[in-house]
Amino acid sequence: MFTTSQSMSSASQKYAATPAYDESLDATGRPHPLTQALWDYFSELPAEELAARVTEVDAAIMTAGITFTVYTDAGNIDRAWPFDVIPRVIERREWELIESGLKQRLAALNLFITDIYNEQRIIRDGVFPAEVLRDSKNFREACVGMRPRYDVWAHVCGTDLVRHSDGQFYVLEDNLRVPSGVSYMLENRQLMKRLFPEFLARYRIFPVDNYTAQLYDTLAALSPREGERPVIALLTPGIYNSAYFEHSYLAQQMGAELVEGADLVVAEDECVYMKTIEGLQRVDVIYRRVDDDFLDPEVFRADSMLGVRGLMRAWKKGNVGIANAPGAGVADDKVVYSFVPQMIRYYLDEEAILPNVPSYLCMYDKDREYVLNNLESLVVKPANESGGYGMLIGPQSTEAERNTFAGLIKANPRNYMAQPTLSLSTVPTLTSEGIAPRHVDLRPFVLQSNRSFVTAGGLTRVALRKGSLIVNSSQGGGSKDTWIVEGDV
Amino acid sequence: MLSRVAESLYWMARYMERAEDTARLINAVTLMSLDMPADARIGWDALVRIAGLDDVFFKHYSEANEACVMQFLIRDEKNPGSIMSCITRARENTRTFREVLPWECWEWVNELYIYAKNNVVNDLTRRRRYEVLQAVILRRQSIVGLLSGTMSRDAAFQFLRLGRNVERADMTTRILDVSVAIMLPRAAVGASQYSDLAWMNILKALSAYQMYRRYVSVHADGARVIEFVLKNKEFPRTIIHCLRELIEVLHQLPHPEPILASVRDALAIVEQADATGLAQRGVHTFTDQIQLHLAHIDAALRQHYFKVGDVAASTEAAA
Repeated sequence: MFTTSQSMSSASQKYAATPAYDESLDATGRPHPLTQALWDYFSELPAEELAARVTEVDAAIMTAGITFTVYTDAGNIDRAWPFDVIPRVIERREWELIESGLKQRLAALNLFITDIYNEQRIIRDGVFPAEVLRDSKNFREACVGMRPRYDVWAHVCGTDLVRHSDGQFYVLEDNLRVPSGVSYMLENRQLMKRLFPEFLARYRIFPVDNYTAQLYDTLAALSPREGERPVIALLTPGIYNSAYFEHSYLAQQMGAELVEGADLVVAEDECVYMKTIEGLQRVDVIYRRVDDDFLDPEVFRADSMLGVRGLMRAWKKGNVGIANAPGAGVADDKVVYSFVPQMIRYYLDEEAILPNVPSYLCMYDKDREYVLNNLESLVVKPANESGGYGMLIGPQSTEAERNTFAGLIKANPRNYMAQPTLSLSTVPTLTSEGIAPRHVDLRPFVLQSNRSFVTAGGLTRVALRKGSLIVNSSQGGGSKDTWIVEGDV
Repeated sequence: MLSRVAESLYWMARYMERAEDTARLINAVTLMSLDMPADARIGWDALVRIAGLDDVFFKHYSEANEACVMQFLIRDEKNPGSIMSCITRARENTRTFREVLPWECWEWVNELYIYAKNNVVNDLTRRRRYEVLQAVILRRQSIVGLLSGTMSRDAAFQFLRLGRNVERADMTTRILDVSVAIMLPRAAVGASQYSDLAWMNILKALSAYQMYRRYVSVHADGARVIEFVLKNKEFPRTIIHCLRELIEVLHQLPHPEPILASVRDALAIVEQADATGLAQRGVHTFTDQIQLHLAHIDAALRQHYFKVGDVAASTEAAA
């Protein structure tokens, strides 16, 4: 007992917290009651045993082929998914609030998309500026007048949350096009169960593996042929896509067909069929992981080899359900994002449960002037990029980079927005120097069709480099298991 | 079952079978070389020739000695039929249909790939080579066992069986051809004893020696071995067994008639074969003929299952 408590205090004492909010410590710098069991466990575990398990985790990841593809000049490299074995712990009551905030947000976003492609009341009522819509890259003319089933366009949403130094969760962005990462969330839990079963037993952890069943139900609800077991196909761009592992994983878990564009055909009856050994078979619902641009060469990019000719006709006729619906990306835009609190008020007559990060829109003269004068303290983002590409992180930028961005902003103000540099919260992470704080964000996944669902936790991405705030897997980020736990353990 | 996935499954099974059978062949020939009299020589070039790869080989190598032939057959990426190339391609295929197999299957295939990548290196000693190839065979057999024990007998399973049996029949004809690789000194004392040895080793390359001895004879002479390898209905690597498997599988797939016709053609030739005559004249012309029939079966599968969607789609486009 004596040695245990001694090593325990050394593990958390050696932990050098940064000025950022640390989720494992309380206000006085002592282990937070919720993470006490975590600190105990990693203090008791002999170093060589921990090292052995980490080796085992790495081998399991290699064997499972849990990879993502990094696009470099030297070609595409399949990299093992970096995984940190120390889980992130969040208390259930806190999570329930986040969960209701996420459902509220997606409900408002779906109402907004329906409105935008139909009456555009929100513009007429002066709540949302017409010029933002006019310049939107993701507005699809072909979707005007469409009313998909349940008026839901974004069926699967990955919302990025960050925890600021005030301890509050803020929404950083809504990913409504083809959000990925959920398979890593599921695999991370599998790895932890396999390698740290006795540790998991110390907490009462909410399960995450009901996600695929929920996703199946969400998709099945979109089938045009009611009463029959729907044929669901997951449309992937193919083996060279960075998220191919996930496409294959989800198809397998749901018992859905994993198809590529060339496997599908729209026949004269404007229904979608897949080419099988028995001839053509009708497809009811397509969970597409292909961007709008490539979905149908008849309507969008004519040179697309990834899509299906005539798919939009079939969808508009109601002969096939598509998730997420074409055009849903109109609400996945970093400028549109800044209007979500107003949307929630306008459509739901509620206040936003989850706050936005304060945003400066460069399209407004006053905001633009502020941004241009404070580039060194702000994060500047293009409206339509994802994956952390094309951003300026003020405090870490050079003068030359700031000048480049000033030019870009002036040339196309609508395409840029800026936010204060957030101090992402830190959590204990296993590093070469022992257990040390590293910055994290969180991507929960939200589903909506005739009802809605939020994953218990989500994918925690961690910036493995010391001091880094960039959590993207393409830029040195990893992930960890996220535990939503009962507080009274 | 998607046509693309069916084709991919079929080829995955073919690559895996080829990798394993090549490993068995190499191990058997290596052991055989140790049994040969000092003045007999192993025709290493014949190994390349019977695999139908002599053009590719001589493009990259000037001499067919043991080291070059082994490198070429085991790990050379320029040889699409090398064990390493087959495992790599089987793994790439598996990645495209992980969702139709038991989830662990991908892990095992990936594990085989990682093992081969780390252990199949240049300049393997004979002893190490034997060990590594045995390990490859064992891992591949584990995958077959996993599928047999945990996979539904659905269309995906049947396409794996099709690929496995088409490739196995083809490899069996090629192993039969190995008899050509043994250059016996003319009129050597005890030549017939060494000739028996060669036929015995052909059985070993097929892992058939034990079953042959048990059910046929302790003596391995040409006529009886050929009769066994072609026509024994019980042993799972004989030509007739592979063809009968194909027939059984095809009956579980939609509209198999045109492909069944091709298989029956091949079956008729095997059933009518005269083993004694073949032992005297040499098997090469005959094995060529079977390989041609297997190519017809392969073409029929392509036409009726793998490319059917394209035909249907283009009919519609024309309509």
